[in-house]
Amino acid sequence: MRRYDVCIIGAGPAGLSAAIEAQKLGMKSAVFDENHRPGGQLFKQIHKFFGSKEHMAKIRGFEIGKELLEEAKNVGVDVHLDAVVMGIYEPHRITVREDDSITSYSADSIIVSTGASEKTIPFEGWTLPGVIGAGAAQTMMNLYGVRPGKKILMMGSGNVGLVVGFQLLQAGCEVAALIDAAPRIGGYGVHAAKLARCGIPFYLSHTVVKAEGNGKVEKVTIAEIDKNWEFIPGTEKTFDVDTVCLAVGLTPMSQLLRMAGCKTKYAGGTVPVCDKFGETSIKGLFASGDVSGIEEASSAMIGGKISAVGAAFRCGFINEKEREQKYDEYSLSLFKLRKGLFSKENKGRTDITKTDEGIDLSMTLFKKGYMTEEELKKFVRNSEIKGPHPVIECTQNIPCNPCEDSCSFGCIHVGNEISAVPKFDENKKCRNCKMCVASCPGQAIFIVDNDIGDGYASVSFPYEFCPLPEIGEKGFALGRDGKDLCVAEIIDVTTNKAFDSTAVVTMKVPKEMSMTARFYRKEVPVNE
Amino acid sequence: MSKIIDRSADIGEFVPEKDDDILVCRCEEITKGEIRKAVHMGLYTMTEVKRFLRPTMGLCQGQICGENVRRIIAKELKEPIEALKETTARPPVRPIEMEVFGNEVEKL
Ligand SMILES: Cc1cc2nc3c(=O)[nH]c(=O)nc-3n(C[C@H](O)[C@H](O)[C@H](O)COP(=O)(O)OP(=O)(O)OC[C@H]3O[C@@H](n4cnc5c(N)ncnc54)[C@H](O)[C@@H]3O)c2cc1C
Repeated sequence: MRRYDVCIIGAGPAGLSAAIEAQKLGMKSAVFDENHRPGGQLFKQIHKFFGSKEHMAKIRGFEIGKELLEEAKNVGVDVHLDAVVMGIYEPHRITVREDDSITSYSADSIIVSTGASEKTIPFEGWTLPGVIGAGAAQTMMNLYGVRPGKKILMMGSGNVGLVVGFQLLQAGCEVAALIDAAPRIGGYGVHAAKLARCGIPFYLSHTVVKAEGNGKVEKVTIAEIDKNWEFIPGTEKTFDVDTVCLAVGLTPMSQLLRMAGCKTKYAGGTVPVCDKFGETSIKGLFASGDVSGIEEASSAMIGGKISAVGAAFRCGFINEKEREQKYDEYSLSLFKLRKGLFSKENKGRTDITKTDEGIDLSMTLFKKGYMTEEELKKFVRNSEIKGPHPVIECTQNIPCNPCEDSCSFGCIHVGNEISAVPKFDENKKCRNCKMCVASCPGQAIFIVDNDIGDGYASVSFPYEFCPLPEIGEKGFALGRDGKDLCVAEIIDVTTNKAFDSTAVVTMKVPKEMSMTARFYRKEVPVNE
Repeated sequence: MSKIIDRSADIGEFVPEKDDDILVCRCEEITKGEIRKAVHMGLYTMTEVKRFLRPTMGLCQGQICGENVRRIIAKELKEPIEALKETTARPPVRPIEMEVFGNEVEKL
């Protein structure tokens, strides 16, 4: 049997943050993860994260994972990888399979941060090869460089469905449609908008009737459902796809906590009943991150730190006053994240029709994934502005503010309340550095110049596909709905280190298209 | 969280449904209809259904189907899902080859 002051189960954002904090507070800490690579969900996330600087926003998920691992090693945490925690026994003992042997570890405190697993929905044909979880799709493409399929139907319009849907496009797959049984798109509007402008249709209030094929998925039929989840006859649509991706929610992996015998409750899955430090009904047993309730990596990191503070107090490494001080500091940061349209309290609500600022929310964005120009006008004023300037199409209250920091000229304002809708300050001069375009994790900022002469305007937009367009190349400008609008010429492609792999592409379009053209498709000559 | 299920409660007759043939537990190949019928035979808890039919007892240990099995039983009992107690979580939480346990004997 080996001993640590604290053993942490799971090396995701919650576990790694807990280990770092615990070690810093003087505890000898170990973190165990069953995977070969630490980072939990983070290692599959190639997109830039939301939040503010203190929450590591604007950094791509896997980079956050790397940073956390580095720090954990630097402060002296023992990181055990390929280490499956098999069981938990009283009073704070765990058994771990490492290589082909089993070791027992004991500790004064244990922090469980085992994350969550994907939910499934059984339907006719769901056991055919080709029906996979969105997490599996991510693992295949982002870790192993394998396309999960050629043509995909995504089921679920929460952030996971939206983000993975976009990553499938980036990997070169075709996405036939995104469907959801709910009447509204569940994830961030900005994530939906990225798909919509690539022409991906959304079918809300729809679910899968069946998947069919000879030994594998070859086609999938969906249909609209009524309030009682019954299919409405005559609404069936069939897609020739080889893959159905399920992104229908996550459920906490709380088996170890249940095994330990702590009190639990149901919240979309079994979660432990915890106090504000994440301590369960068993003294010295803590839970943090998704296992204590599905949230985000940003909140998981803070939750992990808070549990470490609780554990440090429990084991006598800090006194009560120090504990409360640390708690106040971290909970403030957590509080900032837990606000806005998608916060716990507001999740699933359909009666919210205005932003915190009192502006009408776009209903088209909820239904189709893009805004109409009329709806956007309530947020941005454009036509009278001369010269290049940002058009910020971020219209829902989400806790995120990298845009504000990215502008060294102070053109963009979010303020202390990081879930406020960002605004362009017209009194300041935009220098067209395009940092805001590349920094926005939602890819929702465009630089527009309404008049570049000869009846043309220019539109700069973020671009994260390969290959990049070339200067001088001609193609079609696409609208927010992904439909061809007009001929566009690429006049600039900017990449640099500060943009972190997001290219900013500028196209020239007829003047009257400056507020409609938002994306680009290379023209494929007819004879090709 | 879970309440004691009233065994005298009248849950009505078993009524076949269109999707009764769908596999719910893939590891042990158990259909929705089989689970629903088991409830009507008087197996009112997760543990009973598990011992009778083996759902959640395969390789995934209920990781994939657990929640779905629980929902189906709860619905048949006309109870919310949280009213139904989950099965007992036991080690090992992941499948471990017998060989690994065998190695432990040599250590003794
Ligand atoms: C597609 C997608 C996009 C996302 N985008 C964002 C985003 O933009 N911003 C954001 O903040 N969040 C995002 N998230 C959410 C975020 O990834 C999770 O909330 C976060 O990773 C939860 O952290 P965690 O540490 O609790 O769990 P995890 O990251 O799941 O880590 C848990 C770890 O514990 C390991 N483990 C479990 N059981 C055992 C055991 N018995 N023995 C050993 N190891 C074990 C697991 O294998 C895993 O490595 C996204 C999630 C997904 C799926």
